[in-house]
Amino acid sequence: MPRTMMSESAELLSLTPSVAELLDFVDDGEATRRYRFRLRDPNAMATPLPGQFFMLSVPGAGEAPFTFTTVPDREGIFCGLVRRVGSVTSALFECRAGDLVGVRGPFGRGWPMEQLAGQRVLIVAGGCGLAPLACLIDQLIAQRPYRELALVYGARQRSLQMLDDSRQRWAQQVPLFDTLDTATEAELGGALLGTPLELMDDILLRLGWVPDKVLLCGPEVMMNTLACFFVERGHSPRSIWLSIERRMHCAVGLCGHCYLTQHDLSHHYVCRDGPTYRWDSLQPVHVALPE
Amino acid sequence: MMSCYLLDTLERLHSHLARVYQIVQPLEDVGQSAPPLVSPKGYFFAEQENLFVFDGECFRETLPQPPPFVLFGVQSCDLTAIAYQDQFFARDPYYQARRQQALLVGIDCVTPCEHGFCASVDAGPGVKAGCADLILHARPEGGWMLMVCSDKGGEAIRGMELDQMDDTELRARDRRIDDCIAAFPDDSHLHRGIAAISQGRVPDQQWQQLGIQCLGCSGCTTLCPTCSCYGTRDLSEDQGDIRRQRFWDSCLYESFQREASQHNPSEEAGERVRRFWTHKFGDNFAKTFGRYGCVGCGRCEQTCPGVIGVHSVMRRIADYAPDDDV
Repeated sequence: MPRTMMSESAELLSLTPSVAELLDFVDDGEATRRYRFRLRDPNAMATPLPGQFFMLSVPGAGEAPFTFTTVPDREGIFCGLVRRVGSVTSALFECRAGDLVGVRGPFGRGWPMEQLAGQRVLIVAGGCGLAPLACLIDQLIAQRPYRELALVYGARQRSLQMLDDSRQRWAQQVPLFDTLDTATEAELGGALLGTPLELMDDILLRLGWVPDKVLLCGPEVMMNTLACFFVERGHSPRSIWLSIERRMHCAVGLCGHCYLTQHDLSHHYVCRDGPTYRWDSLQPVHVALPE
Repeated sequence: MMSCYLLDTLERLHSHLARVYQIVQPLEDVGQSAPPLVSPKGYFFAEQENLFVFDGECFRETLPQPPPFVLFGVQSCDLTAIAYQDQFFARDPYYQARRQQALLVGIDCVTPCEHGFCASVDAGPGVKAGCADLILHARPEGGWMLMVCSDKGGEAIRGMELDQMDDTELRARDRRIDDCIAAFPDDSHLHRGIAAISQGRVPDQQWQQLGIQCLGCSGCTTLCPTCSCYGTRDLSEDQGDIRRQRFWDSCLYESFQREASQHNPSEEAGERVRRFWTHKFGDNFAKTFGRYGCVGCGRCEQTCPGVIGVHSVMRRIADYAPDDDV
């Protein structure tokens, strides 16, 4: 067989989902629910790493990527946090307990767990961006490989906050700063008023330590401005990680929808090469730098 | 060294192969210089196809099961593109189910076609042995040279009792291909354009100007033999089953990357045009695939209503190339 013709040894992919049952859901913030699913075959999926994602099919509506907020247990039960935004999520919101959905995964590269050992780690999440970090935060708090850990969670307003019970649990263990873009005095409670960027100097002062590693997940503008904030203050771009959101149809680097141009003009598929990236590999080409 | 035989008529090969293979001939006339308007990529990466069916209980993969078929008379540009797609879709079960059934019979080009520049991007005009199972070459004195370049090709012509030809014929073929290469028009705009793209020297403003001319019609991406982007959708069957279909998509559509939240990382037409040409001529793609994504068929030039096909774009960005790279 000539060299350039197809290699017969390559293992073929599957684009066909495994069946999972929608077990139940709880409301978790505005138009957001935490869903529990159970894989019909608990062994249908390799154990995901924090930050990896799955493709959820709602038959008839299509497929979209979601992060694991908890990974499948021995019975194949796992959780995902879903905000109703588009057609797939709207169809999911119409589903009832017992309905069948499709699941593929895990996909992508997770957070750099191994690089957090012995480090002072600051995690900053915005809005739905807390979801891809939840599983990581749980594992970090359980295993305590870090030297210091602190969390900042920004939301536009109180009603858009998510994972209340998780945040209360985490706040027992590590410093956690909630920030709200807008809030009345009564809504503010223990939260700080402003965006994570506006409040970061103040937060760092309160912490009393300087992070060695910064993990970011949220709207792209928030991640970009915060990454620039830390770089301007002398942090290495190699110490900053972020998780990128893109539209995905295949999750295996074929359909092209999640492409990203890196600063060296190489092409990447966020589904396969991300969604977590180190800041120095992204800037400055693909991102709109803050005005 | 590949074996080479004398074939008196194409019909003889045709009827021999037809005993095993369904014959598909993309060209109206095997031996015409212009490639067909539509590339043969759809024979492997289907324009629309079903991925699986959900019957209410299970998801069932629906792999295509085509009979053995031969693509009879495919030019070097398109064969190079198939070799490229073979790499890209190496692990795609739907592509491979079709590809494994196919025999590729290439045809050498001996005259340049109107928009083509295969010679400038190492994709022709002579068919490379690694890109086909059999190669045809028209002899000026009549008849055809038939070259065997794979075990599958050898198996396919077994029993034809053809006379073997010697090296003189192969050397004569090489000469005719060299003459064809020499007959292509000036391609300095292509080399300079490639250098400008690969070194990231084309300013955003230039891409934006080109973007104004992009109508987002998907003509280029549909005809391009190496374009491979696809979308998916669910369709309901009469009996209540649901099937997932994938279909050719285009990275030049405004909505290609738009997310449900309406966030769109490539909102600007210029950004999408830049990405398209970087995909075809970026050095980083060449590193991954062993060659550029463009095979020089010229179909984008032929079809683009906004006049930003390959020659038009490369002429406009050629000046951004470094001076020493002419």
